[in-house]
Amino acid sequence: MENDKLNRLLPDDVDPREADGLDATWRMLGAIDAPAPDSDRMRARLDTVLGAVEHAAPPASPRWFGRRDVDGGRYALQGLAAAAVLLVGIAIGRFVVPDTTRLPDSSSEIAAMRSEMRELREMVSLSLMQQQSASDRLKGVTWTGQLDRPSSEVISALVDALMHDPNVNVRLATIDALERFASRDDVRRAAIQAVDRQMSPLVQIALIDFLVKTNERQSAPTLRRLIEDPQVNDAVRSRAAWGLQQLG
Amino acid sequence: MDAVRNGDLAKLGLLFERHHRALFDFLVRMTGSPSTAEDLVQDVFVRVLKYRGTWRGEGRFDTWLFRIARNARADYFRTRPPSAPIDDAAEYPSHSPLPGDLLARNRDVARLQRALMLLREDKRELILLARYRGMKLEAIADLLGIEVGAVKVRIHRAVKELRDIFLRLNESPSWKTTSSIGSCPTT
Repeated sequence: MENDKLNRLLPDDVDPREADGLDATWRMLGAIDAPAPDSDRMRARLDTVLGAVEHAAPPASPRWFGRRDVDGGRYALQGLAAAAVLLVGIAIGRFVVPDTTRLPDSSSEIAAMRSEMRELREMVSLSLMQQQSASDRLKGVTWTGQLDRPSSEVISALVDALMHDPNVNVRLATIDALERFASRDDVRRAAIQAVDRQMSPLVQIALIDFLVKTNERQSAPTLRRLIEDPQVNDAVRSRAAWGLQQLG
Repeated sequence: MDAVRNGDLAKLGLLFERHHRALFDFLVRMTGSPSTAEDLVQDVFVRVLKYRGTWRGEGRFDTWLFRIARNARADYFRTRPPSAPIDDAAEYPSHSPLPGDLLARNRDVARLQRALMLLREDKRELILLARYRGMKLEAIADLLGIEVGAVKVRIHRAVKELRDIFLRLNESPSWKTTSSIGSCPTT
């Protein structure tokens, strides 16, 4: 590599003996390895973004992404909720007519760009949560953690995933994601409903912990019902009893 | 990039294939976290897509790309706590046990790696760009918006401080600087 030698990168007046000492450190830096990226996974994530753009774009564009065209169907936005479609429309409308003349130079333009970025991230999260693949839906839930101020559509999508997603891991991840919004009544209500409906003891236990953490006293009747129901998993009943005690 | 700017978004895949490894390497060494670096690389390409209209075709594309990467990283940590030190994060694969000199060498390298993570962010960034990315002084100057002479002075200071931290870690392995990891803003 061109910069293997430190000397040529230092000011001319550096003492040669000092430069030699620093060069030893510089050379040793070359021995520090860094992990390799998971290129396939990263490429798939990028393809998902482009897939979302493709779906909202005019049909005049037959090819969007070269060799991954065969995978295009995988990233189709099947059954995208009306709110997500609206967001896609907004985002693409702005993609199609970018400002090609100048760099952003005012705070209002920067604010507008940030807003567009947020919309794009939301769009990606929402579209991932609609995918067939559980791992994609999991990514979608995880992505919501990167949103500073997610819209109500995102929170509704998370609540919907908590109630209806067939995959346990997705539902568990959703509980984590919803913790940020525990101050919202609708989120806490959904958690109470979900703990009653869930078939998975793991998810039920995670929900009980959520309710305790958020000090949701209105969940007490539901927890009592769980404790008294002999059909409920023993670990869940025991956790519910603990939860009830915590809530006082 | 010209093609992407003109609407041929398929070419973004080509740019990704060419540049994502370099970006990941830079970002994983900056953050100490592969998962964070992966998220940031994703963010960089989303930004390239979004802001493709601002590419003027002047200067080097990789300098433009790394400017976006620096902004993405700064934005990311603006809303999150700084990452843990590299050795605490334990996200890097551990080295296999090695005999004799190799083991001592390995320890030195691990210590230097730790010293690098203890270095102030702006200094660490400079070292990464010059040492691992092999960026020319002119390109670094362009990226940071400073003169080439200033880049040389800063590299000198950064390597000197890195060496000092490394030597102090050798004297006392439990020593840590008072500055927290990744918390200092770039200048």
